[in-house]
Amino acid sequence: MTALTAVSGRRRRADSVARGALMVLTGVALVPLVLVVYYLLKRGLGAISWDFFTTDPTGSFLGNPGGVKSAILGTIEIVALATLIAVPTGVLVALYLVEFGRGKRFGNVVRYFVDVMTGVPSIVFGLFVYIVLVTSSFVGVGFAGWKGAVALALLMLPVVIRSGEVVLLLVPDSLREAALALGAPRWKVAFRVVLPSALPGLITGSLLAVARAAGETAPLLFTSAIVLGTSFNLDGRMNSLPVQIFTDVGQAQDRLVTRAWGAALTLVVLVLLLTLIARLFQRRNRYT
Amino acid sequence: MEAGSLRLPPGGRSLDERSPASRAADPFFRWGLTVLATLVLALIAFFFIFLLSKAHPALSKFGVFGFVFKDNWDVSRNIYEAWSLVVGTIVTSAIALILGVPVAVAAALYVTELCPPRAKGALTILVDLLAAVPSVVYGLWGVFVLIPHLKPAEQWFSDTFAFLPFVGGSVAGPNVFIAGLILAIMILPIVSAISREVILTVPRDHKEAALALGATRWEMLRIAVLPYSRSGIVGASMLGLGRALGETIAVTLVVGNAPNVPHQIFDQGYTLAAVIANEFGEAANNPLHVGALIAAGLVLFVLTLAVNATARAVVNRGLAA
Amino acid sequence: MSIMRLAPALASVAALALGVAACGSGDTGNSNSGSSNSSKSSTLSGAGSTFAAPVYSEWANQLKSQGITLNYQPVGSGAGIASLQKGTVNFAGSDPALAPEDKRGLTKGKPVQVPMFFGAITMSYNLPGVTQKLKIDGATAAGIFATKIKKWNDPAIAKLNPGVKLPATNITVVHRSDSSGTTKGFTTFLSDYSPSWKSQYGADKDIKWAAGTTGAKGNDGVAAAIKQTQGAIGYVEQAYALQNHFTFFDVKNAAGKYIAPTLASTTAAGDGLKVPSDLGISTINSPNKTAYPIASQTFIDTYQDLCKAGMSQSAASGLKKFLSFGLGQGQSVAKQLQFATLPSSIQSQAMQAVDSLQCNGKTL
Repeated sequence: MTALTAVSGRRRRADSVARGALMVLTGVALVPLVLVVYYLLKRGLGAISWDFFTTDPTGSFLGNPGGVKSAILGTIEIVALATLIAVPTGVLVALYLVEFGRGKRFGNVVRYFVDVMTGVPSIVFGLFVYIVLVTSSFVGVGFAGWKGAVALALLMLPVVIRSGEVVLLLVPDSLREAALALGAPRWKVAFRVVLPSALPGLITGSLLAVARAAGETAPLLFTSAIVLGTSFNLDGRMNSLPVQIFTDVGQAQDRLVTRAWGAALTLVVLVLLLTLIARLFQRRNRYT
Repeated sequence: MEAGSLRLPPGGRSLDERSPASRAADPFFRWGLTVLATLVLALIAFFFIFLLSKAHPALSKFGVFGFVFKDNWDVSRNIYEAWSLVVGTIVTSAIALILGVPVAVAAALYVTELCPPRAKGALTILVDLLAAVPSVVYGLWGVFVLIPHLKPAEQWFSDTFAFLPFVGGSVAGPNVFIAGLILAIMILPIVSAISREVILTVPRDHKEAALALGATRWEMLRIAVLPYSRSGIVGASMLGLGRALGETIAVTLVVGNAPNVPHQIFDQGYTLAAVIANEFGEAANNPLHVGALIAAGLVLFVLTLAVNATARAVVNRGLAA
Repeated sequence: MSIMRLAPALASVAALALGVAACGSGDTGNSNSGSSNSSKSSTLSGAGSTFAAPVYSEWANQLKSQGITLNYQPVGSGAGIASLQKGTVNFAGSDPALAPEDKRGLTKGKPVQVPMFFGAITMSYNLPGVTQKLKIDGATAAGIFATKIKKWNDPAIAKLNPGVKLPATNITVVHRSDSSGTTKGFTTFLSDYSPSWKSQYGADKDIKWAAGTTGAKGNDGVAAAIKQTQGAIGYVEQAYALQNHFTFFDVKNAAGKYIAPTLASTTAAGDGLKVPSDLGISTINSPNKTAYPIASQTFIDTYQDLCKAGMSQSAASGLKKFLSFGLGQGQSVAKQLQFATLPSSIQSQAMQAVDSLQCNGKTL
């Protein structure tokens, strides 16, 4: 038996350099995060107060401008609805592409169209919904929270499908074949074997989509619009954090600009909380 | 077969045997998924056709070739030729990919393979945190922090390396490089998170085999991990590219919004997505203008499609080899 | 754990969301956080001029006790008119007067435009070394914004400012990238004084600016760009110039005097104007001797017969209340927010237009 090749000095050096480079690049990835979070805290912390979270914006420029309660609640409602629409649909379509659509022409057509959709600017989805749902009399003219949710769901759907497909493809076929060999029907293989083993990756993909949707302004500007008061009526105008931020940050009053940054900070914390909860759930599920 | 290894109900059949009842669900499963996929496809097709019909006034007036390849975007004269926007989009997205993908994949590799286990969770959450920041915040941070702080460095680079193509001249405050940089930061979490998932599925025996043959850790990554993950990483990058192409608000805050072809990387530019954000409100009652903006969106479709198709072809060829 | 265990969780979230949506209030988007009794409350929706947004918002806030709630989207004058044409809002805020093609698109009845107040568009600049107030005229400004004049110590600028040491810094021009009534006002001023500007660039809400200039979104974007770049010059509304402590030019008006933008000089821009029958005035380059030449007006556009255009009776009377307040007590509110009040002649004509608003043929 030939002796194992001793590791030459050159290879050892290459190894150290490469590993060092990877560590440095990871640090590089985190530098903007630190800077952005620092800036966010610097500009937004001043706005945080009990009133900030519990009062609606009043629209007053001379008196008390109020907080951002309606924006927070609105974002939660709209994003929750969008997630409810986009994630199950997206995962199921990804499942279709992987289980039945590999190599087939119809599967390829779906795949190409979904690929195209990942590059569409968020604002185009807003415009589409604006033209089809807000200004036409198809479902009643006017802005509505659910229409904003539809725009966001359209934005999320390609990301969920595409990332879901990547992740589902990585489930080894041997797993599927083993389950089939044990006599499980296709649907059981899908729901009891494939999806659970891909679940961590699916959660990651969906989280990314939700995080994106929560922070998008453009689709909401034309669909759910801006409103001051808190509303639980998804069929009416609904405020949201990105729109509130966008409107406030352009004002000529410093305290409103500070409120915008406070709202941005709140949004980041909200999404972070969601991410943490999902990651905790994921960790208990992951099998290496 | 030993009786202890399978849970056999009385009668001796396997628990998961394809009984007629459970088998009956299978066609519904397949049928159901197919219907759903068809519906999604129909929605996307409707979306595409609808936008094509809205873009028609502009595309017929200037011709598809004229719209894409001629350079004259003049709103007050109602002329919409988008070449400068196309170039700006390609340049900013290219910069985003070139800067963002290597860093994202490196971070994914480091976190999954090399870093000490205690730091893994924290690092993962930190990279995820990048995705939690709304795009408008990235744009504003770019305006208030990046642009002023990077200007001296950019000017130095522009002066020192003026012999390189596309470098040289005075630095405009907002410019395509900064836009590309901000986009790179924004696509980091997507590319990194999905790459991480992909790298995690590399079978342990592949990695152990390489190590057993005497490979150093880096060689193991190069031989066993990266080739296996390649198509997944490309998929992650395509998602990142999609985000870069379609990012609207952050870009419009830092790119300079000048509908001129940028001649060097520190020039102002404009992108297809940013122009829609800036102009749609006003355009709403001018069908030609609306058509031009929607046509800009359609050009993005085609760009995404082209890059994705190329990427898939490259990956498939690699897999076949 | 499998997908099956997620299902009940998902289902309960779905149920929660639907339940929350279902037991919402009946009106579209009408949740008042203040104290208003619902029998008299009216919700108004408007969109348009970003310039005027703070004032309308503050007026509505002060009318809350009378049951008025306003949802106003500051999306720009053009977008506001487009929204009014589509029927998604009750009124539009527009800085420029309605053009014939705008009126053609307003098909729900006879359109009415009411001038509300004025505001100054400053030419702000960032030149830390220069402490004296600088003067400029329309022709020189046009040369700067067309990038024909490239440095601050150019003879054209020096000629207007004798005795001031101007640095050799490059001029960076900042303008709006989004469609804006402010741009229209400013370019109208430049067109009046420079025939070459008029033919090459014209006066519009959105023009094709010269290469090498920077476009920024919104007044805040232009302000940020000016603030960060030494040697920058741009046009921003007075409120933003004051917020950022900018220095701005004294501008030569039609009577040859160099006037600084103040509340008085901005109101003076409306004095002595010939008011057309549809009240579509323009205060740019006013002939009045004490007027600041780049003063912009702003209108509220709606229909004469509000109910026929789709508003409810309560919303229509709410709008009339809003407009009357705006032209009355609201003028001093505007002043507190750094906007200039209407001169009395225009104010009375505006009030007449408001008094003539109808609901289904009957005056409100």
